[in-house]
Amino acid sequence: MIYFVMLMLMCFIIGLVGVASNPSPYFAAFGLVMSAAIGCGLLASHGTSFLSFVLFLIYLGGMLVVFVYSAALTAEPYPESWLDWPVLVNVMMYLLGVGVGVYYFFGEWNMMHWMGVDELNNFSLWRGDLSGTSLMYSDGIMLLFLAGWVLLLTLFVVLELIRGLGRGALRVV
Amino acid sequence: MNPLTLSIFIMSLGLGTTITFSSSHWLLAWMGLEINTLAITPLMIKQQHPRAVEATTKYFLTQAAASALLLFASMTNAWMTGQWSILEMENMTAITLITLALALKLGVAPMHFWLPEVLQGLDLKTGLILSTWQKLAPFIILIQMAPALNPNIMISLAIISTLIGGWGGLNQTQLRKILAYSSIAHLGWMIIILHYSPNIAMLNLVLYLVITSTIFLLFNLTNSTTINSISMTTTKNPIISILIMMTLLSLGGLPPLTGFMPKWLILQELAYQELFLVATIMAMTTLLSLFFYLRLTYSTTLTMTPNSMNMMSSWLTKKNLKPIIPLLFPLTTMLLPLTPMLYFSLQ
Repeated sequence: MIYFVMLMLMCFIIGLVGVASNPSPYFAAFGLVMSAAIGCGLLASHGTSFLSFVLFLIYLGGMLVVFVYSAALTAEPYPESWLDWPVLVNVMMYLLGVGVGVYYFFGEWNMMHWMGVDELNNFSLWRGDLSGTSLMYSDGIMLLFLAGWVLLLTLFVVLELIRGLGRGALRVV
Repeated sequence: MNPLTLSIFIMSLGLGTTITFSSSHWLLAWMGLEINTLAITPLMIKQQHPRAVEATTKYFLTQAAASALLLFASMTNAWMTGQWSILEMENMTAITLITLALALKLGVAPMHFWLPEVLQGLDLKTGLILSTWQKLAPFIILIQMAPALNPNIMISLAIISTLIGGWGGLNQTQLRKILAYSSIAHLGWMIIILHYSPNIAMLNLVLYLVITSTIFLLFNLTNSTTINSISMTTTKNPIISILIMMTLLSLGGLPPLTGFMPKWLILQELAYQELFLVATIMAMTTLLSLFFYLRLTYSTTLTMTPNSMNMMSSWLTKKNLKPIIPLLFPLTTMLLPLTPMLYFSLQ
């Protein structure tokens, strides 16, 4: 299991580097999809399967589709991939930065802690994330209400930001 | 904007700060900060001007990055120590990361680069909200975790802030950028004292909010956005030019005015802590800020009618004095005799 987690962590970092190194939006969207999916896989391997499932649905169902479509709006005939020289320099720099960070912080930060959220989970009926979710509907009802209000507020904010056809913030350039 | 929508945004702006104030749990404090960021975004973009859109985008990206860093650090803290309380931070990595994230949110140097550009893209009223109300929530978190903060990091941030705040404002002709650099310099004064005496930092924050509200409202009253345009203040309303002068000098911290009080108390507390070199550096770097306040004062009041005026007169628009200005102005200038009461009631 630990090798699998290690592989996923490396793919996660590579996906993020692929986004951050400023390639063409097509490839950046691919890197984002990859790191989002692998991030959900990492969460699942740490024991929060329900949470990662919900997160995966939200990412792929909503945000990334919108992102890919808006990236497709800025079409270009010769997109820059990761092997083009300016992007490759960025990729190398980010990987080097990650390497230096790992070298300095690895031991003291999470050497020993690649365990699930609730250890000995084979013996428990309710996993941590599931019981937390059910807690949101009983004791944490005010928190649920607050989260609902924030979602409603986000809706209003998005509607207000994209309002006004030619004058709005979002339009085809 | 629809008044109903506007009221939703303004109420959510209040809600975000209130949640951050009243929470002792990192997750709720983070939620409050996020609500704050979300709710001010449409208020900033209200004019649909390209500069406003640019400023909003910069603000949103900066605040989102700072929030993500804050969430990451608080989760690291929860992971290592098993508790989410703001008041009992133990993990040094998390404390340092949170300090830097909140400094980014507040616009403390060296994470200040977004602040002048964002403030320049907004109108003066939104700029007033941005430089007063939006400072409250991150600063309250900093005050709550004040005993755990690393003094070396705080002193470094503070000295860089006062230096950059004074230095950056020297060459500016735009009032909003000058006010942004003034905000950076004042934040430097607040966070240098944060670890040693959170009460004085709180007092400094409140007085800074009062003084900067006055100056924003006065500039809004005379439609001034550049140094050139405040030279016309005398022709619009001579009394306003006197008010602007007094408020600017109070912002600079000259003795008979309110702005001197926090600087006095902070220098005294730093001397008690035997940080003489730091106190000297802070006092000297603030002279840089005082220079551009004095330059604004000069062009506001000393270029009056007997001298020849070198600027084009602008169209006079009738604006009534807001009733909040007569309330704020005495607080801006005449609070210094109340220093013993304010200081000892905080002890």
